[in-house]
Amino acid sequence: MNIFRFTRRVLAWSIACTMPLAVHAAPMGFKDSWMSMGDFGPNWREVYANYAITSRDAFGVADTYMRSDDKQSTLDLTDVTYTHLLHRWNMRDAQANLWFVGGLGVARTHDDTNRMSDTRTMASPGIQFDYETTRVYLATMARMYRGREIDHDYGSVRAGFSFYETDYDETQPWFIVEARRMHELSDKTEITPMLRLVNKNYFIEAGVNNSRQARFNFMYIF
Amino acid sequence: MKKIITLSLFALSLAAGSAQAAVQTIKAEVNGMVCAFCAQGIEKKLRAMSQTKDVYVNLKHKIVAVELKEGQSMSQDTVKDLVKDAGYDVTHIETVNQTAQEIKASIRKD
Repeated sequence: MNIFRFTRRVLAWSIACTMPLAVHAAPMGFKDSWMSMGDFGPNWREVYANYAITSRDAFGVADTYMRSDDKQSTLDLTDVTYTHLLHRWNMRDAQANLWFVGGLGVARTHDDTNRMSDTRTMASPGIQFDYETTRVYLATMARMYRGREIDHDYGSVRAGFSFYETDYDETQPWFIVEARRMHELSDKTEITPMLRLVNKNYFIEAGVNNSRQARFNFMYIF
Repeated sequence: MKKIITLSLFALSLAAGSAQAAVQTIKAEVNGMVCAFCAQGIEKKLRAMSQTKDVYVNLKHKIVAVELKEGQSMSQDTVKDLVKDAGYDVTHIETVNQTAQEIKASIRKD
């Protein structure tokens, strides 16, 4: 690997680790690629990187910060992850995927009300299904975040459309709406309309949720 | 003198013809290729091959074309395997005597 490529990788990784959100398109890149993702909002922040050892399997590391709506409880989870493409349907004008995403790691919890902190082992198995054409996107994800006395199960649905068709080298704008729930963190269903820009080199989303909080997501493959 | 000019022109046209025939591009139709961000793997892998001169990807027409450097060869199976490794399926593959840019231009005309 030459110094330029190495520097570019370090730079991309640094950006991935310092930006504040949760992106859920394809959760891994192509064989032998690194993918970094970020999902940043006030109550949920996630940075994630994985390496695809095959076209269907990727191992990675993630750091996820969760905060309750009342800001009294926080959880910071660092885990190793495994992503597996269970099935892919390649159609002429569409692609659909069924994914397994799982993590095992350590969660540091803090409760301001009781002034208590703790460290626990946490597991986070989940399933994602997505369907996409060049104009329509649908995805749903269910993921358990479980540890001793912790249950922060997560569920999300995303749907959207692109404003127009573009060439492969052009940036395509999309409108996406996501609804998600996070058990024992919030009683509300968070709804976030977002503008997504997809280019062959990057994927970014930005929006404001129904609690008037900004969200930002990105993905980068290198 | 006339003969020399005629022969020279003939030789030049033959040379131009053989140069045209030397262009080899493997053109594949690929199912499932709907997103530029997700399909970048195909382009990156193909461009990394030493035989590759140029790559053209078209999501709307589901086409991946890899133009080979002069005198280089690549099997259609290599392209098929590479596309499969990137997560897609090749439904049709052929070798054509057009450059990647010519394929791009012909698709834009349609």
